[in-house]
Amino acid sequence: MRLAELKDKLSLKSLNDVYDKDVEGAFVSDMVSDVMAGAKPASVWVTTQTHKNVVAAANLVDIAAVIVTRGRPVSDETLEMASRAELTILTTDLDTYSLVGKLHAAGV
Amino acid sequence: MTDVRYGFIVVEKCYHCNDERSYFAAEHVPPKEEYREGEHFWDYMGSSQSVQFNLKCGECGAVVELGELLGLMTCAGCTDECDLNVLSRICESQRIWVYAALTYNPDEQMKAHMAEKLAVLSQYFNDRIRTEGKKILVVPGWLVHDVDMCHGSVLRDVGMFEVEPEPQTT
Ligand SMILES: [Zn+2]
Repeated sequence: MRLAELKDKLSLKSLNDVYDKDVEGAFVSDMVSDVMAGAKPASVWVTTQTHKNVVAAANLVDIAAVIVTRGRPVSDETLEMASRAELTILTTDLDTYSLVGKLHAAGV
Repeated sequence: MTDVRYGFIVVEKCYHCNDERSYFAAEHVPPKEEYREGEHFWDYMGSSQSVQFNLKCGECGAVVELGELLGLMTCAGCTDECDLNVLSRICESQRIWVYAALTYNPDEQMKAHMAEKLAVLSQYFNDRIRTEGKKILVVPGWLVHDVDMCHGSVLRDVGMFEVEPEPQTT
């Protein structure tokens, strides 16, 4: 599935430009060390973390997009870094559990 | 990626000579007891959860050990004295993303093999990239002028709940 399609299907809000890419899976963690060691490329990363380290980790393993749950605010610094790395930051008001259910139902 | 080990980066300090050092503890809880080692009296300063891993060639099975790798960091653009900064700026226009490898107290022997190991690590990340035209370059940590000045990201799970205030613009 393409990222733009997933965004519409799940009514996610983008906080920067949508860099449309193939989405091949999802990874759920609030730790950058987990992402470095375990996330597969082209996954969406579901997290409550909004620190700029998220961008550096996501960029390293070529994450398709970061989805921040519970509508947590994301700093301009993080968004600016994400745009430079062509990484889409999406948000949802849903909690992680509910969002992951929807991702699964959508076939991710 | 092989031999993935979860544990803690433990920072300790000698209260005799004020030396500070860090090491990886692959345990369920970080060891906090102070202990003596020759002239030094090491005192626990803090710890953060982390992971260690090695890389294994899918074809010949050769293993590259990366136990000395503490974390990867980026530079957000500090000074011209910082080689990581200069290199990052040059590479960004080519869509190459530069990460410096921070290591646990590397000795000379480790340093000698570091370039080869980091080339393998770069290759590992690049092999997995799907985004066309994008590349990762892992460089030695000694290109960093001053870790605290880079204001970049260190890929370890410490301080992740602290977001610095935005600079005030008037
Ligand atoms: Zn720097």
